[in-house]
Formats: sequence, structure tokens, C-alpha cells
Amino acid sequence: MYAPTISPASPRRSQYGVDPQSVSQRGAGLEGMTSVSLKELIRGMPPIIYPDGQGEKLIRERTEAALARVDFSMIKPGNTVNILASHHGFTFLGGKPYAEMLRTIKDVVERKTQAREVRLRAGLGMRFRETEEYIKAHGLDEYFQGQALGMAPIDAGIPIETSLGTLYGLRRAYDADVIIHAHNSDVREVHFHRQVDRAVKPFGMSYARAETRSTYHMNLGPRAANFVARAIFDSEFVRSKYGFSVFMIMSPAGVVSIDADNDLYAINDRVTIGGMKDYGKIINLFGEIDECIVVLDFPCPVPYVFAAGVIYANMIGANVDLFDLDNPLPPYTWYTETFYDERGEPLIPDIPPVNPAIKMVVHNYAWTGYPATFFAEHTPTIMVGQEQAELFNRDPMNLNYMKHALLGENLRMAMDFAYRTTKTDKVLIFDGATGGVNVSRSLADLLRKVAPQVNDRVEKILMPKWLAQRNINLELLSQAV
Amino acid sequence: MKVVSVHSRVDMNLCKGCRTCEMVCPVYAIRATREDGKPRVDIDLKKCVGCWNCEQRCPEHAIQMIPCEPYTLKTDVSSFDYKVIEDLCRKARFHPKQVVCYCSASRAEELAAAILAGAQTPDAVVLATGIGAGCGIECNQPIQRFLEAAGFRPERRKESFQWYGRTTTIWEVSPEVQSKHRVFRFGEDRQLMDRIVDAPLKS
Repeated sequence: MYAPTISPASPRRSQYGVDPQSVSQRGAGLEGMTSVSLKELIRGMPPIIYPDGQGEKLIRERTEAALARVDFSMIKPGNTVNILASHHGFTFLGGKPYAEMLRTIKDVVERKTQAREVRLRAGLGMRFRETEEYIKAHGLDEYFQGQALGMAPIDAGIPIETSLGTLYGLRRAYDADVIIHAHNSDVREVHFHRQVDRAVKPFGMSYARAETRSTYHMNLGPRAANFVARAIFDSEFVRSKYGFSVFMIMSPAGVVSIDADNDLYAINDRVTIGGMKDYGKIINLFGEIDECIVVLDFPCPVPYVFAAGVIYANMIGANVDLFDLDNPLPPYTWYTETFYDERGEPLIPDIPPVNPAIKMVVHNYAWTGYPATFFAEHTPTIMVGQEQAELFNRDPMNLNYMKHALLGENLRMAMDFAYRTTKTDKVLIFDGATGGVNVSRSLADLLRKVAPQVNDRVEKILMPKWLAQRNINLELLSQAV
Repeated sequence: MKVVSVHSRVDMNLCKGCRTCEMVCPVYAIRATREDGKPRVDIDLKKCVGCWNCEQRCPEHAIQMIPCEPYTLKTDVSSFDYKVIEDLCRKARFHPKQVVCYCSASRAEELAAAILAGAQTPDAVVLATGIGAGCGIECNQPIQRFLEAAGFRPERRKESFQWYGRTTTIWEVSPEVQSKHRVFRFGEDRQLMDRIVDAPLKS
């Protein structure tokens, strides 16, 4: 018995993607597709509070409850307060739960303190208007009375003295008396952060200048780089402004809870464990796929499109255990990308290749605004539609993407070509389907078959190893499991 | 190497004269002033590298990118003794074939060649190679590491924020930090980076 496909995330109007009306065919509508529920695949998935059919009501309630446990005494009368947010949070489930969490933080701070002004400062990746788009789409500019701003890494900076020497934050992030760190627990870029200080990372990224981000991706190495965020967060300057943190706790199926704490490292331990338990299973399950065609079909740049609650960059690296710190290099990180010469040969022999199970990528709908040429260079790629190809050709970060990709007139023709050339009928669709994953029937059969052993392996063998590598108390593990 | 195919254009009906465009242009191609109390923006199109920074950060959405006759930003590596290029790359702790700009796929050897050709500041490197004319983020440190390795210490324009300073590399992390925070595997990552930098050139 095969379930019908789950509705994919709708295309979103953005300057970084094609007109939503141009996205006429979706992967989930292809013949032979089905869906598999995440509950079938992941043992012990926690219940979710969003989406649960009640809108954002539970998000507000849980945020208020979490904040009731937080000490607000550092916010003095007349203080200005910056709620620091990141674009990632808005990419989950249409962005509504994250926006509601941010609104609730503002309301509670205003109710509990005599702060003079509570502002939203939302960091971003490489699409410098992306958070502005989210702020407008969710009415946050009105809610924050004109005090909601996007911050880009090329905006004015501020030097921060750290144990790594001088690093640079964004001036706008720190232009208040008190900062509140409002983030999420999704593992997302585990290929970069390796689930080390996941909860701290925005201090070295979303809230940081280009110098700091370049330090992370170019200067320190794939694992050592994760110390950048800790160095900034532990600096005297940031600690003098830090109030508390509020986290939207995610599972691959949706929002699980809201966590808040004055101690970011306490949240960090909880986030680390939860992320490994649920996301670790899905990513390892993807690593069991022997061959497939991947369909990109979500309003985000290539590496950030979602399937089963994880991003495509996790699938690209699923042939290596991304959580295992004994593996120095994932198949895709920006360090890895720099380690190939112009002929595509690795500079040293032990660079892991990108996941060889991905036989072809059909790029039906994914955005510009992230340097994605590496993906097209390393996996056969068909771009769907001239309009989308032209968008990539104009993007200063993707001027070479189409030099490595074929062009298909429409999704059906691209899929026909992919089936004929790869000889596989296994299809994995990254379309943001909530609560499950849209796949071909053959891939559904495979995932169901291997899921029990993957669950066992993660729970009994891998998680104890991963946690020991991060010096995390195993008692916390037993509570989480 | 980057092929530039767009230039920026300002709609002065929308411009409020905030000077953000001037501050984020990586090659100082924009000059924002006031004339008779009104904002005035001059863009040197011969220098514009089509990076979109001004278009993306203008708070008034007053800047558009317009197609232009394509031209190439490139420094020819073969114009220089490759041994000299290689030496500068390794001094900056990069392998000559290592990518230093994800957007243009430019390699360390071209960055070194640009400096040997006379680039002494970050903006000159951008103009000579197109490195820094994509995302404008990740090549920030490679450019500064190369300039320092070549003996240049460019002066930052105080008011602007095109770039700030060079930061720490794996070769400079203090022993105290390394021993206190072993989870981050500084020693192992240094070994990995050393192996990359010192990897032989293939014929």
C-alpha cells in the first residue's frame, strides 16, 4: 500500500527565485511517486506542536512558558534590546512559527521589563535582502514599529576582542544595551558545524561580518572553525550585552517545543543531543540509499532545499558520517570545495567524494544566491526551464553553474532523460513536504526496509560515540532518549 | 576570473543620499555626495565589477543592475614565473591550485599573480581578478592573507566598511586555546591544512 504524496512547500515570490507561476510542475506530481511518514522511519520521534492544526497558538503559549523560567533582571529600565534572529528560522514550515516566537519574545520583554525599545535584527546568509523579504511577509516591520532590520555581512562592523584575536561582528547586532539570541535547533548545516556548538553558531555567522565568516570558512579548518562562534560569544564585549537565548526546537517533522535559558551552553547540550537523535537517523538513512535521482523543488538555494526535514547538503555528504568528528572532511564543505584542482582532482588523495548514490539531479525549482557550481560540477545536473537558467547566469555567485548543467524544457522531459541515463527508478524529492518525504515507490520500499537497522545503529553505536566526542554527559542522553 | 555582464544604475528620484552604496562597493567605484542640498551619486562604470552589493544594500531600492557589454576581470598566471607564484601562495598558506573564491572559482595562483602584477590593496585585487565580486564574503581573508604575505599593509578607509582586517589562521591559534578546547581538534585540522598547502603540484 502506497500513500499519496504530501503537498510540497509552495514556491515563494522572491528576487532570488523564478516567478512562482513559472513553477507549473512539481516533483510530487510525477507519476509513480508516493510518500513515507517520518514516524514510520524514525523511532521515538517526539510529538510536535507545529503544525498541529491550531495555527501558531501553541508556539506563543510555549514561548511564554519557556520565558517564565528565564531571569530578565539584566534588562534595566530604559534599556534598548535587540532580538537577534537568523533567516534560517523563516525557512521552516513557511516561517510562521519562527515569526510568532519572535513576536512573543518582544511582547514578553515589554511586559516584564521597562525596556525603552525592543528591536528585531535578523541576520542572513548570502542573499542580502532575504530577511527583509521575510520581515515584510510576516508583518514584522509593523509589529516592531519600524524597528525590524535585516543585517548583511557587508554592513558596518565592530571589532570584538576574543581568545582568537580580533574578530568582527555586525554593528547593528550589538547596537543595543541587551541582546537576546533567538534561534532554532535544526541541524541544517551539519556539514559545516558538525553539531559542535550548534546553538552558538550565529555569533560567528548571522551576527558576524565578512571577515569572521571568511575566518570560519577559509582560515581554521573544517572542525576548528567551529570555535569562532564560541570565541565571540565568550568575549567580554558580547557577554556584557548577552541576556538570554530562546530556541525553536525542531525535529524533522516540525516544531517540538520552545526552549529558553540564560545559559546558552545548557541549551547547546540539549540541542546537540536532540539533533543527533532525530536528524542523525534521517541523515544515516539517506546514507543507505544505493542510487537515486534527486529532484530539487523548494524555495531556497540548492544546498538548502528540504526533504524529510534535512537539507540537500546533508544528502550530498550522506556517504560519510557527518556527526563523527574522526572524519575530518565531509564530502561537501567550503574547505572540501577548495581542495579540488581545476581538473576536478583532489589536492590530496583522501578527500571524500560527493555521495556517489546521487546519479542525477533534476533542478526543478531552487534559488540563486549561494555559490552552487560545486554541486553541478560533481553531480550530473539538469536545470528545468530557460527562465531559471537565465536567473542563474545573472547571479554573480553562479556564473559558472550552467556551464556544468544540462537544460531541460520541463520537469517531465528532464525526468525522462534522468530515468533513461541513470537506469534507476529511485527518486528522492527535496520539496519541503511536512511530516514525511516524497519519493518513488522503489525508494519508499528501500527506506522502510533499512530504517529499523539504522535506528538501532544510531541509538546503540553512533550516538554514544558522537556524544563522547563532544564531552556530553551520557545521563542527558538517557533522559533525551 | 569573472565576466562582468551587468552594471549598476541609480534612480535619483528614489535616492536619499545615505551613502550605503559607496560604503559597500568593493572597488570604490561609487561616490555619493550632496549638491545644492540634493543627493548626487557618481558611478565609475569603468570600475563597476557587477557584484550587486549596492543594489542589495540600498535601503531605498534605488539601484538597478543593467546588462552591459561583457568584459573579463582576469590576471594571466602564465605571465609570471610560476615558482614565484607558488612561493607566494605557500607563504600565504594556500596551495596554488586551491580555490580562494567560490563564486568565480578563482584559484590562489591567480590571486598571487594579481599581486605580482601590482595589486597592493583589496580593491585592486578585485579589479584584477574578479575575486570579491561575487558573494563578497568568503574571499575576504584569502585576499588579506595574500597581501600580508607579499608585504603589503593597506590602509583602511576609516569611514567605509569594504574590509576591516586580517584575522587568525589555524597556524596562529594559541596553545592555551588548543589545549583548553580539544573538542575543536585544532591540531588535527592544522595537520590537514598543512597537507593541503604542502601538497605537490601535479604536472
